Amino acid sequence: MSRVLVVDDELAIRRLVSAVLERDGHEAVVAGSVREALVEIGRAAVDAAIVDLGLPDRDGLELIPLIRAAMAIPILVLSARDATAEKIAALDLGADDYVTKPFDGDELLARLRSALRRTGAPAGGDTVLRHGAIAMDLGRHMVLVEDREVTLTPREFAVLEALVRAGGRVLTHVALLEQVWGRAHVADVEYLRVVIRALRLKVEADPSQPALIRNEPGIGYRLNG
Amino acid sequence: MLRAGLLGDYLIGAVWVAAVTVAAYAWPGTLGLHSAALLFLLPVLLVSARHGAGPGLFAATAAALAYNFFLLPPLFTFRVHGLDNVVSFVVLFAVAVVTSRLATALKARERQAQREAQVSAEVAELAAHLAGQDDLSAALANGLAFIEARHGSARIIGRDALPRDDPAFGPLDLSAAAWAIHNGDMAGCGTEIFPSADWAFLPLGRAGSGDLDVVAVARRPDGTRLPLDSLRPQVSLLAQTRDRLILGQERRERQILEERDALRRTLLASLAHDFRSPLTVLQGELEALARESPQAERALAHAQRLSRMMDDLVGIARIEGGAVKPALEPVDLVDVVSAALEASGAAATGLRITRAVPVDLPLVSADPVLLRHVVVNLIDNAARHAISMIAISASSSGGPVTLRVDDDGSGIPAGEEEAVFERFVRFAGSDRSGGSGLGLAIVKGFCDAMGIGVRAGRRDGGGASFALTIPAFVAQAP
Repeated sequence: MSRVLVVDDELAIRRLVSAVLERDGHEAVVAGSVREALVEIGRAAVDAAIVDLGLPDRDGLELIPLIRAAMAIPILVLSARDATAEKIAALDLGADDYVTKPFDGDELLARLRSALRRTGAPAGGDTVLRHGAIAMDLGRHMVLVEDREVTLTPREFAVLEALVRAGGRVLTHVALLEQVWGRAHVADVEYLRVVIRALRLKVEADPSQPALIRNEPGIGYRLNG
Repeated sequence: MLRAGLLGDYLIGAVWVAAVTVAAYAWPGTLGLHSAALLFLLPVLLVSARHGAGPGLFAATAAALAYNFFLLPPLFTFRVHGLDNVVSFVVLFAVAVVTSRLATALKARERQAQREAQVSAEVAELAAHLAGQDDLSAALANGLAFIEARHGSARIIGRDALPRDDPAFGPLDLSAAAWAIHNGDMAGCGTEIFPSADWAFLPLGRAGSGDLDVVAVARRPDGTRLPLDSLRPQVSLLAQTRDRLILGQERRERQILEERDALRRTLLASLAHDFRSPLTVLQGELEALARESPQAERALAHAQRLSRMMDDLVGIARIEGGAVKPALEPVDLVDVVSAALEASGAAATGLRITRAVPVDLPLVSADPVLLRHVVVNLIDNAARHAISMIAISASSSGGPVTLRVDDDGSGIPAGEEEAVFERFVRFAGSDRSGGSGLGLAIVKGFCDAMGIGVRAGRRDGGGASFALTIPAFVAQAP
């Protein structure tokens, strides 16, 4: 189906990820360092990259913008569970998603599928955005959730629009605050929490058990599905 | 002794005047009257300079009288003729007064200089004593011994260790000591404050930086004054030495701590990375195999358990290493509970899990990643003990928010509510299979780091109830 670049310094992990990818019919291209990864990218087109951040020759974080510059493909980061700062840095540098080690093969495949789907979709210009049960008409400032119309304040609308445009990808707290409130408010997580609450009251079936807008503690928000 | 000395001084004046009179009288032809008068200045100068104003004035009187009686015509009478004689009287007295004044001032200055030289020599000696010291208590003992050798019994009194029960110190001494400690000023015997105390107290350090330790020096048994002017610089040198050594000691300790921290971080990093990679592979490969083999499925369950234990070990290592640095931010408990339920294995147990987290609770102040870990551990713990259900609920009545995780298991034995948070605690009769024995210790450690209260208790109707008291988030004034 797709050619996926797997960058990890450990042979066993490369093999494991390759095996998982092949389960879903993908073709794996492996690299053990930043240098090898750049060689592979130059040699043949790939559709996605799965990158471990602990690489021998350079920090894996440096690889993300290098891949981004070369081609517009989804990048998934493999990261240790408690490395929150590392995950945020990777996302802010342009990674599409992250998977925590030790990872679940099915989860990795699901994340990859949804990332591949997003890059296939047109990036902007549309006046109607859709994600799962949510449809947003940007021109008419209208939102439908499961065909039920909801009225949103401008801030709520802007947050939801950012999430829908990200299409299931995690948006870091900083990224959301910057997009909706501006650069001066990137530290005001409280604003975001309050608007997300209000938004959930309007779009979730049970706002105390949110099924649509999901929080990744310490990292950011994403839409389910 | 003093009186004899004084009499001697007067006698010397008389002898000198007599000598000059004899000399002038013996050779009247040789010396003119005026030269003879000048000659009388000599004993006056000499006696005033050597022996002070009293003997000087006595010598001047004697000289004037002798001059008048033996040399000034009419001879052998005290009758005074003409201005000349009055002038000689006045000059002799003036010379006596001025000379003695000058000489006294000069002598005082000389004595002062000598004293100062002695004081600074002693301080220099003490400095040499203390110079090579790098052990604090040895240096203090050494300095104290130096002071004792010169000034008698001495000791150091800590700022919060007034020797109330020491019979050597009377109530007056204790008052003086307290004064010296609080005000950083000398007190006790020899000073202006509590001068009748039996000890003098000199502050170890400079006033103005709170209470100070003091050096106590005993009143001298022979009644002589304590030389406070030489004691004071010695004590302040001792204080400087002590401060320098304490600083050095602190620096060394900090350095050792930093090195230990660096080692811990390296260990943590290798725990987190080097162990996680093989575990990832193990789990991943078993996962693929488990699709066909029940054996592999069992192995996978154990690999997953091992992986959770690794997380717990890393967590406890972080707590013990002081490496838990919570990044507090406003957190919605709805988010934390959702994320925790997702991360915990409880959903797969078939237990009934209820959650009651109102959406209108105040935001709390916590590190969301640590708090999720805490709630996951509480849920996993509940899942291991519950018979049929786990209940997660949150409430607030203004102020902090309480988050509860309850189960209907066997509960916590009475009196063990604190002990459950200790490491590797498993109670007899309770089945704790599957846990690392660290889960609740991590709960406690992370909660302590975030300023969250955590309590274990009994659930109404049986089972255990764990309650977190989480501070509400308070917006900073802009």
